[in-house]
Amino acid sequence: MPGLGTTYGRGGATSSPKDLLNSDAILIMGSNMAENHPVAFQWVVEAKEKGTTVIHVDPRFSRTSALANMWLPLRAGSDIIFLGALIRHVLENDLFFREYLVHYTNAPILISEKFIDTEELEGLFSGWKPEEKSYDPASWLYEGVDAEGAKKNEGNEKEGGHSQHGVGGQPDLNRYRTDNTLQHPRCVFQLLKRHFARYTPEMVEQYCGVSKESFLRVADVYCKASGPEKTGGICYAVGWTQHSSGVQIIRCAAILQLLLGNMGRPGGGIMALRGHASIQGCTDIPTLFDTLPGYLSMPKFGDSSKSLAKYIAENTPRTGWWKNFDKYIVSLLKAYYGDAATPENEFGFQWLPRVTGDHSHQGYWLDMMDGKMDGIFIMGENPAVAGPNSGMERRALSKLKWLVVRDLVDTETSSFWCDAPEVRSGEINPEDIQTEVFLMPAAGHAEKDGTFTNTQRLLQWHQKAVEPPGDSRSENWFMFHLGNLVREKARKDPQPRNAGLLALTWNYSTEGPHAEPSAEEVLQEINGYTVADRKLVPGFAVLKADGSTACGAWIYAGVFPKAGENRANERDSKDFYGHGWGWAWPADRRILYNRASARPDGTPWSERKKLVWWDSEDKKWTGNDVPDFVATKPPNYVPGENAEGDDALAGDKPFILHADGLGWIWVPSGLMDGPLPAHYEPFESPVRNPIYPEQQINPVASSKTRRGNEYASSPDSRFPYVLTTYRLTEHHTAGGMSRTLSHLAELQPEMFCEISVGMATALGIQPGEFVTVVTLRGAIEAHALVTPRVQTLEIDGKTVYQVGVPFHWGYSGLAKGDIGNDLIAISEEPNVRIMESKGLLCNLLRGRHADNMEKVRELLEAERIAQ
Amino acid sequence: MKATKATEDRLDEIRRQAAESAQLAGRGNGAPAPQIRGKGSYYGLPVLKAPVWTWEVPLYFFIGGVAGLSSCVGFIAHLFGNDPALVRDALWIALIGAALCPVFLIADLGRPARFLNMLRVAKIRSPMSVGAWVLVAFSGCAFVALLATELMVRGYGNTLIADIGWAGEITGAVTGLLLAAYTGVLIGATANPVWSQNRTVIPAHFLTGALGSAAAALELLGFLIPATQDLGLTAAGIETTLLIYFEFRRAPVNAPLHHGKSGIAFRVAGTMAGPVSLCLRLVSHAAPMRMAAAICFLTGALITRYAWIWAGRASVKDPEVLFQLQRKA
Amino acid sequence: MSVSAFLTDSTVCIGCKACEVACKEWNDVPADGMIWSGLSYDNTQSLGASTWRHVMFLEQPQAAGPQLAETADPFRWVFLSDVCKHCGKAGCLEACPTGAIMRTDIGSVLVQKDVCNGCGYCVVTCPFGVIDRRQTDGRAFKCTFCYDRQKAGLIPACAKACPTQSIQFGELNDLQQRARNRVQELQERGYHDARLYDPQETSVQGVHAFFVILGEPENYNLPPAPEVPTTYLKSAWTSALLCSAIAFGIICLAFAR
Repeated sequence: MPGLGTTYGRGGATSSPKDLLNSDAILIMGSNMAENHPVAFQWVVEAKEKGTTVIHVDPRFSRTSALANMWLPLRAGSDIIFLGALIRHVLENDLFFREYLVHYTNAPILISEKFIDTEELEGLFSGWKPEEKSYDPASWLYEGVDAEGAKKNEGNEKEGGHSQHGVGGQPDLNRYRTDNTLQHPRCVFQLLKRHFARYTPEMVEQYCGVSKESFLRVADVYCKASGPEKTGGICYAVGWTQHSSGVQIIRCAAILQLLLGNMGRPGGGIMALRGHASIQGCTDIPTLFDTLPGYLSMPKFGDSSKSLAKYIAENTPRTGWWKNFDKYIVSLLKAYYGDAATPENEFGFQWLPRVTGDHSHQGYWLDMMDGKMDGIFIMGENPAVAGPNSGMERRALSKLKWLVVRDLVDTETSSFWCDAPEVRSGEINPEDIQTEVFLMPAAGHAEKDGTFTNTQRLLQWHQKAVEPPGDSRSENWFMFHLGNLVREKARKDPQPRNAGLLALTWNYSTEGPHAEPSAEEVLQEINGYTVADRKLVPGFAVLKADGSTACGAWIYAGVFPKAGENRANERDSKDFYGHGWGWAWPADRRILYNRASARPDGTPWSERKKLVWWDSEDKKWTGNDVPDFVATKPPNYVPGENAEGDDALAGDKPFILHADGLGWIWVPSGLMDGPLPAHYEPFESPVRNPIYPEQQINPVASSKTRRGNEYASSPDSRFPYVLTTYRLTEHHTAGGMSRTLSHLAELQPEMFCEISVGMATALGIQPGEFVTVVTLRGAIEAHALVTPRVQTLEIDGKTVYQVGVPFHWGYSGLAKGDIGNDLIAISEEPNVRIMESKGLLCNLLRGRHADNMEKVRELLEAERIAQ
Repeated sequence: MKATKATEDRLDEIRRQAAESAQLAGRGNGAPAPQIRGKGSYYGLPVLKAPVWTWEVPLYFFIGGVAGLSSCVGFIAHLFGNDPALVRDALWIALIGAALCPVFLIADLGRPARFLNMLRVAKIRSPMSVGAWVLVAFSGCAFVALLATELMVRGYGNTLIADIGWAGEITGAVTGLLLAAYTGVLIGATANPVWSQNRTVIPAHFLTGALGSAAAALELLGFLIPATQDLGLTAAGIETTLLIYFEFRRAPVNAPLHHGKSGIAFRVAGTMAGPVSLCLRLVSHAAPMRMAAAICFLTGALITRYAWIWAGRASVKDPEVLFQLQRKA
Repeated sequence: MSVSAFLTDSTVCIGCKACEVACKEWNDVPADGMIWSGLSYDNTQSLGASTWRHVMFLEQPQAAGPQLAETADPFRWVFLSDVCKHCGKAGCLEACPTGAIMRTDIGSVLVQKDVCNGCGYCVVTCPFGVIDRRQTDGRAFKCTFCYDRQKAGLIPACAKACPTQSIQFGELNDLQQRARNRVQELQERGYHDARLYDPQETSVQGVHAFFVILGEPENYNLPPAPEVPTTYLKSAWTSALLCSAIAFGIICLAFAR
């Protein structure tokens, strides 16, 4: 998300899957779209039928590859070499969309003289602080921008996160120098060129496992789909995000799309394919520790959050749409605390919790492992199977005093204490586990009202069809009634820390035999209302910072604009983009940054690719989508000298969330690991970093190395094969909803791994027989599915075998098998703290795990031998 | 432990040992990875479904055959004025057989309670429908014929009863022949390769077995007369001819008759009903030899039916056989 | 009423198996066994009493038309959702002795499960190996063409669930024309082994579920020249009756003396 958030302004897919029908070329990478987004993939198939070229680049030939026009293999973990080479290809061959680049991106902007690139610093950017293992990003700013506001890095933990407001202070980025000829050596364009100069097709051939010819063919096809008449779209998913440089991989694609002028245009854009019915919603109304609804940042413990005013100052740039930050935080606080939030008590700002460290999944799970956590609620998640280093996660659970699991079935997480491999092997004795486990049955989606927010930012209401059976209850019911019980206890224990809890607005009306709180009221609260008359607001533009409005998530304002008008529940699609069916944030804009679909003068780039344009008669922006722009701001608008907020952005600045209104090819602030992507190898790799031999891994990424979470060397003769994990269509994440249903379980009933024909021949493995896959984190057994769909790669003159492991199986349900994530490590990408599951090292032995115990032990105890 | 060549060798040793002690599990239709080449089938999986019938069906074939031909023998023996005791016993065999047949047929149904649904329709293009009605008709005829005979024997007879008896015997003979023969059509007119390719021979094979079995049954009841010897010799002779005939039919579709469980059963059964029975009868006319030959033939005829069903099951396993047949056509 | 038909186009199938699952959900078809086959992603392996849509996964050492796959050797992965063919002249229907299997007013072949007594004859008379007897139930089952859905004005569950319209449902003649057009279009686009599987020239008299495939029918376990077994009746019955007459004669000879 920050990959897209920092580049464009919002972290989320910029278009919809159906818009791919408008693409002239589609690049799918870091994604197995056909298998994991089969319904969205129909648009790719249809586009292909209409003549679009579909390119798939992936370590395996999957069901997506089967339908693509072109498939290239890829060594897992070498994505930035590939994408960097594409960027270089565009730059060296003048394939960029110059007019778009000059006007709509920061390509012409000059960067601070203090900046030194990785080319000069052997893989590090300027500003590296070795003791803190982080960067001071001051040298990454535009020339002339005040570095003061950008420097503050308080707290013990690194900043950064899912909102791009984490990096303390807001530099005034709307004052900069440009060279529209793109020649100045310090302009972004030239820095970009120098930075990617060594990401050559030869490098791709040598280190990605793709032949030069194929790479150039793909580069040719994709890069030609740009310019006024053509667009290309990129689709990605966790094949990119679950890497220690995940955000930077995405940044490469984001840069490419800006170079080719694909953003904000039909068939362009980046389709970030988020899985799970409502994972987008889970970051919008977040279950993330570091953001508040609408991607406001959670206040951090320290000076910056001593007062609401300070916190607002820290998070408010002078220019760009985020100038309205105060309206959103105050309205949120009013929604949380209602009448208890007044200007006098800073609207209850002091009641908000403060971030004091790494409260991410990995962060607190390691705390759990160290015995620092009493209890946890695990709702709709199954970390015993899906967590990174799931074996360690299961062991950690046994350190808790209590565990509440809310789920549809008895999952591996709720039964870890009696059924886990560690228990069965005798390593852990259930009698020694002090954890009290509560399994609370949850209601399924047809048994409750609510919304899903899918990958295209579309909210769709779903209605309760039946009462949940027995004691099953919805999340709303559970949290609402739990909240009531907790508040009841708090009332009897009037400590200062409970004041916020008691101040919360918690007065939803309930209905039905179980007193189900009204989901509709929750959505209305999220939409926002004026406090005085409780009238729903039509959009975020009317929100105020004086406490007269309340809004649970400013980006959702407008989903419920009037009483009785639940736009998430509309099912009357009126046009190609689906207006009238559901409601997309923000403001039902389906293609983000669509101002960029018109020239600086407001006319469409071409008839073929028109989307939004300036109507000079009506004096407003119009077209086939809701304009992602102030509707009445003319294209030739020039801001006044001291203009602020959106008024400071000219009429040809489409990326309105950015302080400069531009697409950021260069990210001056907001990312932990660099203003430009640089290739680093994964934590475990079969090769040394070919681009920066002195910097093997992402310097800011955290490996969380500790006993039980160790890493192989790169390379490591004990673990010569590349491991990648992934999903299948037939199962859903950790399998709780699929391995328990016979119709799904029978489709893929047993755990298997996929290996190439070459590997099978070399190791003497018969198709179908059991093999044991071993890493320093764990060992599992699986059937060996021998197939040409996994290719044997030639990397730097060596044969590299890749092992593919699906991660769906566990020890409960109808379809049982060993747990894939036992193999991967707990690690954190620096910006979003996601684990690296896509490129690691392993070994593979013929035979079942039980028959290989001795050999596995020897392998793990043999000293690491780097080659 | 320091890193040395020794530790490296040890790692290789680990891999080698793991390779040696590994078990083969799972399936695949060929090293190194299952693929579909040229005009090959879908991974060697069968196209057609194997017959679902269990042990009751071949047994029914056998009993039906004995019963049907017994009824025919009884009628003809009666017609040519033979030993009334023989006629009577033949008709008893027919009726007992007719009574047993539905028991086994119904037991084999997936929903035995719905056996009467067999009589919902009469479809001449369905051999099984024909068979169901033939069995009903035969049972009725056999009952009538026997009833009349018994009444006659006990002195309650009159011309009407005699006529009815004759009617029962005639229709019993005809339906009896059909009962024995239709089972060959039943399995011949199917999609099963080995059955459908041999559809003209199987009815002959079944009839032969039924004929010889009827004669053998009567012999075991003590009727060691020239007629039963003639029938026994003829049936054994035809069985021998068929055995030789099938030995020469080596097209891939007939592989189940020469290989595997069905092949062994087919040959053993064919040998017992054919050359062995024949030799026993030719060697001596003595009662023990004839009894032995009768038992041999009965056993062979019974196993033959099992062999044909097992052959049907084996026949669907290799899809290439089916494809080759269809490409030739 | 018009004759319903399925056109299943393997060239846009993504092998997602939504059709298998939707069919089972709607028709309450039980699980068919938890067997890992090791044959690509196909653990279902065939149609049967408890599988009425079966997705095939063909891994083949040849390219899919003009597709460029950087594999060491030519390779393609083709998917197809197999289903009951609802033959024009259906072996199962002809063979059924209870009249349970019937032709409906939409031209489909339907097993009336309240009549079927599980005799198993349809199982051996289907030239496509579709229908089978369900061990746990005793009766024979196969695709119903979602007759109940069609009568209610809906389309079959599999067609409804298919995200890429690989499974198309409609009127027989329309779909046949569409199929022919599709094959021609594919050929023009470089899929030289694209063909339509619709055995109209055989005794099966055409099928109401036909397939656009790449490669040979045999690769999909589709019989190249299926015949309805009623064509075998004449020769079989002739033999049976002839031999019966001969048997009669032999017995006469034996007893005439």
